[in-house]
Amino acid sequence: MRLLTPAVLVATAALLLSACGTTETPTAAPSESAAATGPVTVTDARGKAVTLKAPAKRVVALEWGEAEMVASLGVMPVGAADVAGYNVWDKAVPLTAEVKDVGKRNEPSVDAIVGLNPDVVIIAEERDSPLVPQIEKYVPVVVTKTSDASRNFDRLREDFKLIAKTVGKEAEADKQLSEMDAKLAEGKKAVEAKGAAGTPFLMADAYLEGSTVSIRPFGKGSLVSDTAEAVGAKNVWTGQVDPQWGLGQTDVEGLTAITDPKTMLFYSASEEDVFTTGLAQNAVYQRLPFVVSKKIHKLESGTWTFGGPKSIIFTADQIVKALTA
Amino acid sequence: MLKEVRGTSSRRGLRKTARAPQAIRTVVVSAGLVALIVVLAGIHLTQGTSTSGPLDVVKAIFGHGDAQTLAVLEGSRVPRLLAALLLGVALGVAGAGMQSVARNPLASPDTLAVNAGAHFAVVAISAFGLSLPLVPVGGAAFAGGLAAAVIVLGLAGGGSASPRLVLVGSAVLLALQSVTILLLLLFEQETSGLFAWGSGSLTVSDLRATGQMTPIVVIAVVALIAMGRKLDVLALGDDNATVLGLRVRRTRIGAIVLTVALTAAAVTVAGPVGFVGLSAPVITKLLLPIAKHRVLLPVSGLVGVVTVLGADVVLRAIMGSAAAVRVPTGVVTTIIGAVVMVWLARRGRGSGSRRPAPAGRVGVAGSTRRLVLISAVLVALLAVIPVAGMMFGDRVVLLGDLMNWVTGNTGTALTFVLDQRLPRVLAALLAGAALAVSGCGIQSVSRNPLAEPGLLGITAGAGLGAITLITVVPVAGAWAIAGAAGAGATVVFLLVYGLAWRSGLDSDRLVIIGIAVWSAGMALITLLIVVSDPWNSAKALTWLSGSTYGRTLEQVAPVALALIALTPLLWLKHRELDLHALDEDTPRVLGMRIERSRLVILGASGILAATAVSAIGVVVFVGLVAPHLARSLVGGRHGRIVPVAAALGALLVSVADTLGRTVIAPAQIPAGLVIAMVGTPYFILVLWRTRP
Repeated sequence: MRLLTPAVLVATAALLLSACGTTETPTAAPSESAAATGPVTVTDARGKAVTLKAPAKRVVALEWGEAEMVASLGVMPVGAADVAGYNVWDKAVPLTAEVKDVGKRNEPSVDAIVGLNPDVVIIAEERDSPLVPQIEKYVPVVVTKTSDASRNFDRLREDFKLIAKTVGKEAEADKQLSEMDAKLAEGKKAVEAKGAAGTPFLMADAYLEGSTVSIRPFGKGSLVSDTAEAVGAKNVWTGQVDPQWGLGQTDVEGLTAITDPKTMLFYSASEEDVFTTGLAQNAVYQRLPFVVSKKIHKLESGTWTFGGPKSIIFTADQIVKALTA
Repeated sequence: MLKEVRGTSSRRGLRKTARAPQAIRTVVVSAGLVALIVVLAGIHLTQGTSTSGPLDVVKAIFGHGDAQTLAVLEGSRVPRLLAALLLGVALGVAGAGMQSVARNPLASPDTLAVNAGAHFAVVAISAFGLSLPLVPVGGAAFAGGLAAAVIVLGLAGGGSASPRLVLVGSAVLLALQSVTILLLLLFEQETSGLFAWGSGSLTVSDLRATGQMTPIVVIAVVALIAMGRKLDVLALGDDNATVLGLRVRRTRIGAIVLTVALTAAAVTVAGPVGFVGLSAPVITKLLLPIAKHRVLLPVSGLVGVVTVLGADVVLRAIMGSAAAVRVPTGVVTTIIGAVVMVWLARRGRGSGSRRPAPAGRVGVAGSTRRLVLISAVLVALLAVIPVAGMMFGDRVVLLGDLMNWVTGNTGTALTFVLDQRLPRVLAALLAGAALAVSGCGIQSVSRNPLAEPGLLGITAGAGLGAITLITVVPVAGAWAIAGAAGAGATVVFLLVYGLAWRSGLDSDRLVIIGIAVWSAGMALITLLIVVSDPWNSAKALTWLSGSTYGRTLEQVAPVALALIALTPLLWLKHRELDLHALDEDTPRVLGMRIERSRLVILGASGILAATAVSAIGVVVFVGLVAPHLARSLVGGRHGRIVPVAAALGALLVSVADTLGRTVIAPAQIPAGLVIAMVGTPYFILVLWRTRP
């Protein structure tokens, strides 16, 4: 301690002496690039009217689905949370190297967010999140619903249109939504033509740690399940799911609830593939109808199951292909 | 000569007559345990998430089963059952072995941090993406566990009957857990499933791990039982054992290696399943009080199996199998183990070594010059550290910026950064001060230099109260949360205090019971989060490790108010604090109303700790480190200790918070983790200095 105290004092003194400048550049006001369009007002998921001086050009999106939506509209976000992770898990719309990482998705750095001097920050609704009111003091915040297992497609449209209006790309959004609708309708038609309508399916992902396996089925109301149902397949998972994401939790034994021999399994695994490594040798797994009939389809790695219209199209393509194969 | 021979033979005869009922008792107990295991295993096999019910299972066992049930048995229920059996045997025997080596009924894979060391090694391998086949993972777990055991036993002086083994173990456990959580935080994608697994889970997918670990467990168990005689001799004490020709060192090292191997095997299969190794041998000794090691070790294994199976069966019976998938088995065994630990601490008589007052140990002359100097340094630091806290973070700002901010001349971006940084800096400062003052009060009244609001379970109780409220009422405001934290802290503290009170307050007993209740509290917090909000790992990490992320001035207000109101109160009572710290009798002789004074001081300390938790989550060690440091700086008088400790606590948490916000920016480390990593070495230093 005796040695420590002077050392601390010297260090702090040195620090103080060297730290007397400022970090702000004199050109304080953000350059408002000739506001071609006038102010926009959007009503976000909280029911709050958010007004921007002009459609946002510099956007920070904190959840991956929202980042994808922004990027897909032709506005590359200036910042997103865990960019490296995004590019592993969501390949439908890659983020460029210029997108700055603002920290982890669950606790992004507010310093990094405002450091990007954004026009708007898009945050997914989450209960008791301290972020929204804090960031709102500095920059307009648009809150999206992100997921609602009772009406996920309508929710997706609303979120997408909300974001499109925020960045002034409503026409592009309408185009993509009709593209998505067309894709789903076309897929449904193809599936019906093959006589595959009503094909029962299970969609899941899984984690393996040590020799402990947890399986996460996507129940009715989850976005990817709704996608598969939209092209005519039928989700057979009836276990309990949470009201927001439509996700359940079970072990391999719980999958025996699925008995229909026509059932297909779709699973997503962007990193470790538990279904081929951890489960393949399991007696229960080997007897599951889709294993016996070899009706297993791994979604391409980078198929984000909580994404935007581009992810939906990406997923729907794979499902239709599997159903009509 | 003749006499002697006769003497021996008559003693032998005596022993034989005493042994006969003992042998019968051993047989009866073992048979009873085996029967219980059979029953539990039967129930266990009928529980599961598939529709295969008891009848199907019975049919399958008698050879008439349908193929589906057979597959379910083979692929899910039998592996789960075998994992439970392996785990129970490994941990039960390991616990019994460790208790013998340490000659301490509180030794176990948990309290010696072997579990935590093995778990850390496994998580580290997973985090750094080294996808190894299972045996090297087991090897890493073994290395991690062995390192932890060596550190703990080394620091505790090779093991002794004193509770300090548990204290060192808990400290190392905390540090290892902090680093483990840090890895989970940094590599969230790679380790997504490890959060629940960190509490030990039996949802195994196949028999590979169990199969690979079984030979290790069998060899280690057999080897330990073969060492039984030596362990019996070792129990007589090092000197006696040496006289009797035992190579004490070699025996001890051999036994430690074997018990660590058992623990590592269990962790490799199912993660750190808590407190089985503690409770199994204790229960065994209750059933068979004078058992030799050749009986004690295998019976402990049986009791371990009963504990693990029982926890699993009860959990699934209560919650239903589908919902119980979420809850790690280790959560339940930790709660069971905590109950055993409390019982054990209550049963054991006082350690006998009346600990002198904490002040009595540190011979610092309280010279005025020194006091003035230290005060000046602290005031200077209190001015500098918060400023540094405002300057550092993901975005580093300079003093000129701060000046501009104070005078309202910064641009919007910088204004915002500093505006949101202010509550975080304040939360760290105030919570640190509150925890430190709380620690002063608790250490003085409990007359234990190792007591503090964290280790006494108070902060875990506050966290439990707060998180219960958030779960039930998601929109609860800051004051309501502080109130719930206060209620939780009060209930838990009354519980710890009441349990530790047995015609007087033995300070070691208080701390051991506190650690038990703290473990149970943390297990309950895990349970609550896993059940109510399973996909929200951020929330879990905040409440389990303490963080200033996203604090607002409103949330800081309760702790500020508590500090303003209660610090002067405790300071004015500094003479009472001095007297409490002396011994039980002096205050009475001097006519102090001792119980009332104790209640006021503890009440104030509890409120301070609870508001601190509602501001930054569960943080340990501050309440221990700050008063100690204060005492070593300005002597043993509380009139000086309280303000100095408050300043030190504020500085400690503030520095930890600033570091956590800066070093891996834009990601951040919760302040509580930084403190655990810094606080552990200090805690161990304190233990070293206060060694008997």
